[in-house]
Amino acid sequence: MEIQPILLALRRSKTGAILVAAQVALTLAIVCNALFVVKARLATVDRPSGVAEDEVFQIQYAAAGEIEDRKGMQQADIQALRAIPGVKEVAAVNSFPVSSSGWGMGVTRDGKPGNEIPTGVYFSGESFVKAMGLHLVAGRDFNDSEVREVDDRTDTRVAADVVIVSAQVARKLFKNEQDAIGKTIYQGSGKEAQPMRIVGVVDTLLSSSAPAIDEYAHSTFIWPIRYLGATAHYAVRAEPAQRARVMKDAEKALSALRPDRVLINLHDMQEIKFRRYRHERAGANMLIAVTIGLLLVTASGIVGVASLWVSQRRKQIGVRRALGARRRDIVRYFVTENILITTVGIAAGLAMAVGLNLFLVSKLELARLPAVYLVGGMIAVWALGLVAVLGPAWRAAAVPPAIATRSA
Amino acid sequence: MLVMKKLSKIYRTENIETHALRGFDIHVREGEFVAVTGPSGSGKTTFLNIAGLLEDFTSGEYHLDGQNVRGLGDVARSRLRNEKIGFIFQSFNLIPDLNLYHNVDVPLRYRGMSRGERRDRIEAALSQVGLSSRMKHYPAELSGGQQQRVAIARALAGGPRLLLADEPTGNLDSQMARSVLELLEEINGRGTTILMVTHDPELAARANRNVHIIDGQVSDLVHEPVLRAAAAPATATP
Amino acid sequence: MFTYYLALGIRHLRRNPILTALIVVTLAVGVAASMATLTVLRAMSADPIPGKSDRLFTPNLDNRPDDGSSQDPRPPDQLTYRDAIALKNAKPGLRKSAVMRISPVVAPSRADVKPFFGDGISVHADFFKMMDVPFIEGGPWSEADDARGGHVVVLRESMAERLFGDANPIGKTLRLDTYDATVTGVVSDRWEPLPRFYRLVSGPPPFRGVEDLFIPWTTAIANQMQPQGNVNCFSDPPPDAPPGYEGLKQSECVWIQFWVELASPSDAPAYKDFLDGYVAEQRKLGRFPLPNNNRLYDVKGWLDVNKIVSKDTRLQTYLAFGFLLVCLVNCIGLLLAKFTARSGEIGVRRALGAPRRAVFKQYLVESGVVGLVGGLAGLGLTFASLWFLRKQSEEFAVLAKMDWVMLGITLAVAVLSSLLAGLLPTWRACQVQPALQLKSQ
Repeated sequence: MEIQPILLALRRSKTGAILVAAQVALTLAIVCNALFVVKARLATVDRPSGVAEDEVFQIQYAAAGEIEDRKGMQQADIQALRAIPGVKEVAAVNSFPVSSSGWGMGVTRDGKPGNEIPTGVYFSGESFVKAMGLHLVAGRDFNDSEVREVDDRTDTRVAADVVIVSAQVARKLFKNEQDAIGKTIYQGSGKEAQPMRIVGVVDTLLSSSAPAIDEYAHSTFIWPIRYLGATAHYAVRAEPAQRARVMKDAEKALSALRPDRVLINLHDMQEIKFRRYRHERAGANMLIAVTIGLLLVTASGIVGVASLWVSQRRKQIGVRRALGARRRDIVRYFVTENILITTVGIAAGLAMAVGLNLFLVSKLELARLPAVYLVGGMIAVWALGLVAVLGPAWRAAAVPPAIATRSA
Repeated sequence: MLVMKKLSKIYRTENIETHALRGFDIHVREGEFVAVTGPSGSGKTTFLNIAGLLEDFTSGEYHLDGQNVRGLGDVARSRLRNEKIGFIFQSFNLIPDLNLYHNVDVPLRYRGMSRGERRDRIEAALSQVGLSSRMKHYPAELSGGQQQRVAIARALAGGPRLLLADEPTGNLDSQMARSVLELLEEINGRGTTILMVTHDPELAARANRNVHIIDGQVSDLVHEPVLRAAAAPATATP
Repeated sequence: MFTYYLALGIRHLRRNPILTALIVVTLAVGVAASMATLTVLRAMSADPIPGKSDRLFTPNLDNRPDDGSSQDPRPPDQLTYRDAIALKNAKPGLRKSAVMRISPVVAPSRADVKPFFGDGISVHADFFKMMDVPFIEGGPWSEADDARGGHVVVLRESMAERLFGDANPIGKTLRLDTYDATVTGVVSDRWEPLPRFYRLVSGPPPFRGVEDLFIPWTTAIANQMQPQGNVNCFSDPPPDAPPGYEGLKQSECVWIQFWVELASPSDAPAYKDFLDGYVAEQRKLGRFPLPNNNRLYDVKGWLDVNKIVSKDTRLQTYLAFGFLLVCLVNCIGLLLAKFTARSGEIGVRRALGAPRRAVFKQYLVESGVVGLVGGLAGLGLTFASLWFLRKQSEEFAVLAKMDWVMLGITLAVAVLSSLLAGLLPTWRACQVQPALQLKSQ
């Protein structure tokens, strides 16, 4: 392959070559990082919440007027919901995962200050585990006798003696999930630390705020507390095929029980996730658009410069053909030239990609770029260059040998 | 009008030196019609380019209309070129997407003339070459001979003292060539000095002086018009 | 000469239409991407209350317990009930207001509008003057109503229309939770300070949503309206604490935002001293066990510390400008191709007496003309992108709006970019040797 003559010839058209290489480098740097960020965003969006997402929905009412017998009201609601055909489980809850509104508390191993793990807190007088479709990987669910009742009109403390923690909390405090069973941990620290004994561990349970960083998002625990508060908030688990109908029936049933209540939330789990991750999705879409745009722009740049060279070298091409070069030799010449230039661009681009990533890591708390993105980016850009140069190369091959004898 | 003394032009590439002109001497008086002949590679194009201030020279002297050209910067040279010199090329070199009016207009724009003055000159130049009726047409719509005449109008519009013509009839058939040559003679008759590079001995014969260049030097065989006819056959190229 | 070059530049747009179109599209796309994100970034970092943002302050007091559990160096971002009342009643500060989000049940007297949950804030009367809130009818409630918790309400224009139609709502009543409130004023819909710095903590994102109604702070407390935001309790209540709302008021939980207007920014250190003095006094009563960690933020500082401009937005803006850079480099190549194709003409002009600088000016102007066309196309594309962004989320609906300044900047960026991109090709154009070009036609 005639690499050296190509390189020597390129020295005469340095500008065009440098421009293409620069574009390739910049595009590689940006595309690698952009796709990495997209993957991170989409990974966040796709994270399993731990909940049986195609079975569970949320229904929440706020009382317009004062309800004296909150416990009676709650029991009536739960009974009415259980009566709806297609319903598997019902629980009165304080919050939903990924719903952006919930309770947060700190948890420590020994009740001493420092090293508090911020956790999301869920509680229910019924089985939260069953209603949400969570998976116990160690220990057991609560017994009825362990349930405590709290009315926020009269009680100031919200606490229970036993707790079910998420696997992430168990692993942070103990060797493994099984090891956590039976141990006592504390809610809070210092004088007011509340001891609680772990009776069970669930494998995945996202907090309600569900931040992007996984390390905090899965630290949660569950209390067996029947909370009698101002709103009526329930998790209902239904047969997947019937969920939509069940949701409508649930609204009718609860509205009928107490007409002056106002519905504030009726969403299935997918909707809850959808609303929470709107921002991440918009960001990912924008990055994908930029990536596609960049690739197109770079391709058009390669096409432009290659076409320029083809028109500038028409005479030379004609001479080569007259001297015996076949069409495919001409195409090979241009393709080789293109690969040389894009390789230089890619080399520079790899360095720039890493540099850009370090900049983003320091300024925006991005994670380090894994090598697979660099490799993938390289291959994509090489392929792009090849596809882009084929058009002009083909046209070059079509230059008739007769051109050689004409004056320029 | 145009004086060159011991002019040389050396082209240097990485490892090769080419002497295009060496010890070149020439004196062209005002009003002369000089034909420059010579074999290809002799340096006549280089001579024309240097005369037209399109290229610089390596050593020697060049005085144009009494002014020493050496050391002049790009702006000064461009001004000289614009005001004193008119060019006519073998391949016309009209700008294809401007009409005839605007083509002739180009050199005048670089003079900073008012619009009225430019218009007068353009109309005069185009009528001098007989093409004022086609002022709004584009070069592609004209024949070769007509295009060359527009190029001549363009060269004349600024009122140059020296006209440089490089194979002006090279791309024309014999009839058009004749009419162009008649035009040049007419212009020369009115006092403009003309320097014409040509291959064609017949054309050279129409000039009142021949300068022959071989290997970058003047082989000036004829100074007087009366010796022209006798000398011409002897300078036939191999 | 400039008009001559301009005319030539416009004429030459038609030459090499594919190349020109490519340049225009590349420029347009690059400009649109960067300008759209810049618009959003600019809206997000804008000063919500220019002219006053350096005189409005919010205090943060550190009432966390001294048991090692407080690891965050930042003090809590809201106040306790007793601290808010104390600061309001104290002398320092030109105007002061507590701010708390509420959501009372609104039951209008119109039969055709069902009761719904309103979205509002409870504030002191000072709030309206402090925040330069414009009224289209009436005004804030009286000092008397402010002090004793009168049954009054100020509505937003769109809410007033929803409840009372075209009629003048001043003096009319509507039911809020359990009492009837009289309307004393209507706030213009055009009052939209972005971001909502005065109720930044918790609540809806700072660029979304407007409050429909305002009631006196004292009234909200008296009617035990639940705070619709974060309630952070750093320690458990003592065993003898009363339950429910009363307990909340007496506790060390923070749930109230507080703003104070000072006469000038230079009064801030004095007010900070006052805060430190107040905390020292309270320390004698057993509160504020931690050493002094109080802060006083002005509006800009408050927005900064709450990281209003998210990292995501910054990332997107960087990337968009990187994209513009690539487009620029692309344009350099395309312009080079375009100008190289015209070497013949350049040679002719040089031969006819154009000095290099004339050729330089001509082709730079031509780059600018292409840039202007690209800019206009880019402007259209920017509008389209902003429209698309507005559909993405409610936040963008407010932020992604083009104003005249951004319009000017967009065109300027386009023209400047193409001039920059054109520098190298233009310089190359000037270097054309006329002699070479003229022979080889």
